Amino acid sequence: MASTSTRSARPPFNSSSPSSSSQANLRNQEDKLKGSTAARNPISVRLHKVLATNYDDPAIREALETLSDLYRNRDDVGKRASEEVGSSQTGGSIAVEKLTVGSGIAARARKNLRRDAEIKLTQSTQQFLKAFKEVDSKLDGLQEHIDAMQSRCDEAQGQLQSTNEECKSLLDRAGGLRSARHAVNDRQFAVDSFIIRFSLTENEINTLQSRDIQVDANFFRTMRKADRIIQDARVLMSGDEGPSKAGVEIISTTSQQLEQGYDKIARWCALEFRQFVRDAQLDVSPLMREAVKWLRNRPELLTDALSVLAQTRQATLLNTFMDALTRGGPGGIPRPIEIHAHDPLRYVGDMLAWVHQAIAGEREFLEALFDVKGEDRMVGSVRIFKESEEEEWIQDLMDKAFEKLRSPLRLRVRQTIRSQESSITTYKVANLLTFYNTTMQRTIGEKAGLSNTLNEISDEAYGVFFDTLEAQARNLARTILPDNQDVQPPATLLDHTQILREIISVYTGSLLGNESMDEKREGFRSVLDLTVDASISMCSSVADARKVQKPTWDKDTFLLNCLDHLLVVLRPHDFADYKVKALQDEIESRADLLASDHYQNIIHEAGLADCLAVCNDKTSNEPLSHIGAMQPRELASHLQAFAQWLSSPDVVRSPRLAHLNDQRLADRVHREALRSLAAAYEKVCVEVRKPENRYEAANTVLGGARPFGSLNALRQIMGVGEGSG
Amino acid sequence: MSSEDNEGDATELLETYDFLLKFIVIGEAGTGKSCLLHHFTHNRFKDHSQHTIGVEFSSRTIKLGEKRIKLQLWDTAGQERFRSVTRSYYRGAAGAILVYDITNRSSFTNLFRWLEDARALASPHLVTVLVGNKSDREEDREVEWSEASQWASQNGVHFVETSSLSGDNVESPFLLAARAILLSIESGVLDPEKAGSGVSYGDRALRRVNSSSRLSFGSLSGRKKRNPIRLKIKDLVPSPLQGRCC
Ligand SMILES: Nc1nc2c(ncn2[C@@H]2O[C@H](COP(=O)(O)OP(=O)(O)OP(=O)(O)O)[C@@H](O)[C@H]2O)c(=O)[nH]1
Ligand SMILES: [Mg+2]
Repeated sequence: MASTSTRSARPPFNSSSPSSSSQANLRNQEDKLKGSTAARNPISVRLHKVLATNYDDPAIREALETLSDLYRNRDDVGKRASEEVGSSQTGGSIAVEKLTVGSGIAARARKNLRRDAEIKLTQSTQQFLKAFKEVDSKLDGLQEHIDAMQSRCDEAQGQLQSTNEECKSLLDRAGGLRSARHAVNDRQFAVDSFIIRFSLTENEINTLQSRDIQVDANFFRTMRKADRIIQDARVLMSGDEGPSKAGVEIISTTSQQLEQGYDKIARWCALEFRQFVRDAQLDVSPLMREAVKWLRNRPELLTDALSVLAQTRQATLLNTFMDALTRGGPGGIPRPIEIHAHDPLRYVGDMLAWVHQAIAGEREFLEALFDVKGEDRMVGSVRIFKESEEEEWIQDLMDKAFEKLRSPLRLRVRQTIRSQESSITTYKVANLLTFYNTTMQRTIGEKAGLSNTLNEISDEAYGVFFDTLEAQARNLARTILPDNQDVQPPATLLDHTQILREIISVYTGSLLGNESMDEKREGFRSVLDLTVDASISMCSSVADARKVQKPTWDKDTFLLNCLDHLLVVLRPHDFADYKVKALQDEIESRADLLASDHYQNIIHEAGLADCLAVCNDKTSNEPLSHIGAMQPRELASHLQAFAQWLSSPDVVRSPRLAHLNDQRLADRVHREALRSLAAAYEKVCVEVRKPENRYEAANTVLGGARPFGSLNALRQIMGVGEGSG
Repeated sequence: MSSEDNEGDATELLETYDFLLKFIVIGEAGTGKSCLLHHFTHNRFKDHSQHTIGVEFSSRTIKLGEKRIKLQLWDTAGQERFRSVTRSYYRGAAGAILVYDITNRSSFTNLFRWLEDARALASPHLVTVLVGNKSDREEDREVEWSEASQWASQNGVHFVETSSLSGDNVESPFLLAARAILLSIESGVLDPEKAGSGVSYGDRALRRVNSSSRLSFGSLSGRKKRNPIRLKIKDLVPSPLQGRCC
């Protein structure tokens, strides 16, 4: 025991083999003793044996404790127990009594142990017997019960058997019924889902049909549902089984309901469209956009609704246009457009700008209505018209919206054009109309009705302009030159070209800078042809008339001056280049004529005319010295006259040609005449020097006067070179 | 299906507006009017800008506080030969954006002619914003900010410098003008119901104004009586108006 307590107190690492270590201790001691002298002493051996006896064996301990219990209990509990035992076992009780006597217990125990134990065994055995007897009788009773139960059970078993057999058919039937119910439930569920999926609820039907329920997001949701039902049903029927009766019914019912929805949308749109009576830009609500999107599936309905819109817009635009014209803004500001009717450009410009702005607004409104995304584009810039359905609707509506406005616009523009006296103003208005026509066509397209009107009125403006121009040309043709008319361009021509100048400046102002050269020419060709040709023909006819009246009058110079004037007007403008060229050609040929005329004049003035005539007319073989002006004396005086003429200022500058406004032209004409004159002198000299013409001392004849027969000297005096230069 | 509906609601908010304002953009040729507008509507510089022929139209919706405002913008040609044409478009404009080029003095000295024309022809309550454009070309500046600012205050117009190249301040003139106009509406000076004022109600405002009889769509309708809209000045908080403006 001591070792155990030591062991528990020991730290765990020492506990490797506790019992062997304690035994080792003992053996150590033993060995020490053995090693001593008294090792062989029998007493000590005995002692050793006693001391070494080990009572730690649990079995022994237990036996001893049982034993001690047996005797200790004699006093208290044991006593009573032994009394009980004693009442039935007298012998036993004596022994027990002996045991209970205090200090004598151990001795008695040693003496009576065997007997006491046997008595106790006997007592117990008797108790067992008694108890088993009772158990046995009870078991017999139980056996009886069990037998009875067995028979009952058998009975019940039999009954059950028969009942089971009877129930089996019932159960079968119940199972059948149960699965049937399942199937019915499933079908019910399927039918319910089917109904939910393939039919509208009362509420929904009402939403589509009722006039009292508003068109709103919920309405369109219902429309979508109805539409989906029809489509799904179609898909179902496209299966292998072909159209089913249910499918056909669903489609026809729902279609009917959907159509009622469409009708409702159409009615709603028509109603809403009637409210679009504002002039400025109109806002389109998402509901309206959605409504239009739906109606596009039913073009007939959409067309009807849109015709309401078109009417509303038509009337509205007409009214607001008329208001802008005659009433102006609130409180008269901005002022009514008609207040400026006296200023044709402003009046027409304001009207067209109003229309243009209305177009831009209307276009934006319609794009919003049809949900056409505004492209990345300024409205003013060129629109590429896409061939889309929306675009068709939009153009159609634009057309209709501005339809009613066209005639008051046309009327006013027409009145304005017609009341103009000045062709310049008319031209300006016409150009303005063309400008707006181009600008607006970018938004409305060429085919739009309004484009037609704009084309018409600008054509008309040009028509009136040309009428005015023609009237002016006719007036021009009636020009009568005053008596004191010199060779300068007449006043009527100057007036006429002044107008032309202004028209040109209007034209150049109207160019946008991106026109090709051809376009620029063509844009002005008819004006140019009309005005310039009329001028030329006027000039030549008055010149002819004048010449008849007054033969001395210098028609050639007059005409050249007139042509030159026109040339000066046109020359700065590249688009008039062809006309400038024509004028230059005309001037050239007239200058040539003038040059020969001028030559005729100066050859007379220079006194060589007669001589040259004789030289040129020579036919017979008669020597020239015998003929007329070529006779030596005559010739000498002619040459003298020529010398005189050569020293006059007329050689350098012809007084007649001084009236030509183009001095370079005058120069050219004069030189040409001088050159011809020099040629004439040369001819005379050549003839004089010919022996067959029989001049005595030809050189003396020629050398009598300047230039002494020298052509070089003559050219020097005249300041003209050889040849045509 | 439900997602579609949500989208519907979102676009509804996006696409309608409270007011529509007509603006004109005027000033000498080459001052950058078209570039300014282009930057405002497309958010980028307009390369290779050509002279404007006559007028061009564009539009953009902006937000001022709670209000959505659609601007109808008329870009006019600055070239003299188009003056008679462009003047016709001033009629009834609610706002004028008067543009000069800070690197071109003559475009500044001519301003009074433009302002005169605009005041004579546009809406009586015309709001004008003077814009000194090309502020990116500081080194070529010919008109000082202070001088222009003084001119602006003498003539009772707003003023801001912008660059349509860098995009600096390009929104400001439009926001300034729109804000001033909304204030006029708020104070009752301007009545959008009247034609020719250059201002009109959009669907969004109408729905708020009208009773359910007209453009009525469910819950939004019929809350208020037909009554001129009262704007709260608080609503019109100076939106992204950075930079120098008076
Ligand atoms: N550096 C710089 N250049 C600019 C700016 N804005 C415009 N420009 C240039 O200025 C020139 C004219 O610009 P536009 O916008 O066409 O001028 P506009 O005022 O519309 O001219 P018109 O249409 O003739 O009246 C173009 O070459 C642009 O590139 C700017 O902010 N900075
Ligand atoms: Mg421009």
